[in-house]
Amino acid sequence: MPHPQKRNEDEAAPPPREVRRAVRTAVASCRSARWRNAAIVAICVLAMHGLGCEKLLTTKPDPGGRFDTPLPGLGNGELGDFQAGHTQFRKAFSIAQGLGPIFNNVSCASCHSGDGRGRPENILTRFSRGTDLAMDVGGPQIQSRAIPGAEPERLPAGADVSYRMPPPVFGVGLIEAITDSSILAHEDPSDANADGISGRANMVTPAPYVPATEPGGGAGPRVGRFGRKAQVSSLLQQTVEAYHQDIGMTSSYRPTENSNPLAAHPASDPAQDPELSDREVEVVMQYMRMLAPPEPGAASASRTRGATLFSSTQCSRCHVPTLHTGTHEIETLANRDVTLYSDLLLHDLGDALADNRPDGSADGREWRTAPLWGLRVAREFLNGQLFLLHDGRARSVDQAIRLHGGEATAAHDAYLAMPASDQAALVDFVESR
Amino acid sequence: MRARAFGAAVLAALLAAGAPSCVLGAALPRPGATEPSLTSPYHGTLEGLAFGGHGELRFAEDREAGVSNPDWFSVGRVNGFVFARVSPRIDLGLAGSWDRAVDHFVMERMEAAFRVRRFTQAHAGIFLVPLGSTNLDHDAPGYDFAERSLVATQLIGVPHAQLGAGVRNLARAGPASQLLWEVDLVTGYDDGIITESPGGTRIPSGRNNYGDKNGMPAVAWRVAVRSRGKELGLAAQSGQYNRTQEGGVRVDDPRWAHVLVADGRTAWAGFRLFSEAAYASIDVPPGLRDLFAQHQWGASVEAVRTLLDPLFGGWRGSAVTAGIRADAVDFDRSVQGDSRMRLSASLNLHSRPLAVTRFGWYYEIRRDRFNNSTPLAGLTLTAATYF
Repeated sequence: MPHPQKRNEDEAAPPPREVRRAVRTAVASCRSARWRNAAIVAICVLAMHGLGCEKLLTTKPDPGGRFDTPLPGLGNGELGDFQAGHTQFRKAFSIAQGLGPIFNNVSCASCHSGDGRGRPENILTRFSRGTDLAMDVGGPQIQSRAIPGAEPERLPAGADVSYRMPPPVFGVGLIEAITDSSILAHEDPSDANADGISGRANMVTPAPYVPATEPGGGAGPRVGRFGRKAQVSSLLQQTVEAYHQDIGMTSSYRPTENSNPLAAHPASDPAQDPELSDREVEVVMQYMRMLAPPEPGAASASRTRGATLFSSTQCSRCHVPTLHTGTHEIETLANRDVTLYSDLLLHDLGDALADNRPDGSADGREWRTAPLWGLRVAREFLNGQLFLLHDGRARSVDQAIRLHGGEATAAHDAYLAMPASDQAALVDFVESR
Repeated sequence: MRARAFGAAVLAALLAAGAPSCVLGAALPRPGATEPSLTSPYHGTLEGLAFGGHGELRFAEDREAGVSNPDWFSVGRVNGFVFARVSPRIDLGLAGSWDRAVDHFVMERMEAAFRVRRFTQAHAGIFLVPLGSTNLDHDAPGYDFAERSLVATQLIGVPHAQLGAGVRNLARAGPASQLLWEVDLVTGYDDGIITESPGGTRIPSGRNNYGDKNGMPAVAWRVAVRSRGKELGLAAQSGQYNRTQEGGVRVDDPRWAHVLVADGRTAWAGFRLFSEAAYASIDVPPGLRDLFAQHQWGASVEAVRTLLDPLFGGWRGSAVTAGIRADAVDFDRSVQGDSRMRLSASLNLHSRPLAVTRFGWYYEIRRDRFNNSTPLAGLTLTAATYF
């Protein structure tokens, strides 16, 4: 019995003579190098057309899955500042432009990966002697790198040390716009409700160069909200100090170079101070103000379950889902809810996380509640890894929860007592924020 | 779109204007037969003097992560040269270029050459350092891609010319083989490798076109074997790049930069193949280590095929070629990331032997030091011609 395929071929009618002749002619033509080459060109052009220009010329990433997306509702002028700041944030400084003489990195973007968290190799070393910032020996931060001719700083013996991972910079405009009353409403310094959680604001004095017109500026104690211990109240101060301490760039706000007081001889970079114009500082500050937090992931049964557990285990007592903004010069920041999952207050997180180094009024066991927003896409900008907590020691949300103690002991114990499926649902919810 | 259409029209008009001079250039003999590096045609001659140049225009849709770059119409390269044979043994050469790859003017040649023997030449002045074949010959109309390779532009820093003196020689190495060698003492790189390069070590930032910065010359050399259209070359430049004293005060130890380049070309199965690879080793001051790279490398491979020659029966001198190139540069071997990888394709119409219109495409993955990738791509239309 013939093979069915073979039988079908046998039964097929032979092509007409004209077709066979045309095919023979075409084959003969293709044997000529000239036409073969022309055919290659035609195939290439058709293939490019078939693939489409969009795929050949890259496509835009999902704006909700990035850390460098502007807030919706910004005006043209604001977006112009945003773009200028975006460029400035990524600008890597050379020694000729003022980098150093001692520094930690060469640009803002060199520490904040994709405007998000940093990696352990970018970790900053803060040190002090009790409440003394140890300026005489290079405090309060080690600049571990130096330009030729300068000496990098080394950690002095006997100092109180704290390692700090670079935090995300998106959403800081919203944090700045949150009203003091919205933050202070969650304070319970004496644990009056006896739930074991006693958050308090870190009341700090802004740097003298921060004018009263700036949010968080002016005389008198202000609610600290930036930094791992909420030790800074003003975004201007945060920006100026990062340029000065981390990159070694002077500005009119901090016009004197940061140098190593223990170096054998003084050193400076070749650029004239101030190395940054006020405009450059301003556009970076405005850029960070206008950065939108990433959108949370899609809802699912697991995440709904996780949200319920997040609340029932009292995680949400400190990781407060929503705070509220007040008035702000940037309209889109004003009078809105901010879903950051933090109360921006200081909490004792126990011995395991204590750095035993005071920072402002925060003691060595207290930390500002870390916002959880943006965790959904954090891995994408960290080579698939996650570095959580102030020193990046936790490589997963599960590890981070397990390291909580102090005021979070009840939540920690509740998490450990859960079945594995509930733990997974809770982690899934947190990682979808 | 209207503006881009205007740009395309201007490009076409300029190409058309360049074509007649190419015919003239093609018909004239080339100067400097003893100089392996000087292959440019010229269109003007006076007694003992040749002059000319070439230019390239670039019309492109470049995108980074889906966002168009507004730099859609630009000059790719402009070059001018004058060459004089003042006696049977003495040549003078002057050439300068503005190159988009480095975004500034480079004096490529201001050189006096003395013919010691028939194929041996001593030379001094500013000249192209023999660091790979691309650096020695990078005229825009003679190339089949819109952009030079990443190795050439990002690692070697083509065009790379320095002040110095040396000897070059062409010798017979067999019945159909030639051995070319050149040894030079040049001013060498300066500390711009570190101080002028934001974001990490970049060799091109310290090329130092005009003069010495640290009192220490560098050695540059290249040895190449040519045989029946094939060529294999090896080249290097080594020297101290930093200043050790400022105002009489010692501020740093001597630090060296070494760049090693290998290149080769051959023909295979109807393709013209060319490859160039480079490795750089830089002694970085201790205070900058782990942020400024000490080891870099890169490589490129390209294949070009002539598809139609001539394009039509009556259009003498015309040809259509197509090329594909893959290239990569790792700016810091010690980290994952800080690298660029690119794939380029080009379809080229050589309307005259010395003018080319290229339709190209490239796709590049750029990685930062966090290893975050950013895709870049572009469609380019470039026209280059001698004049």
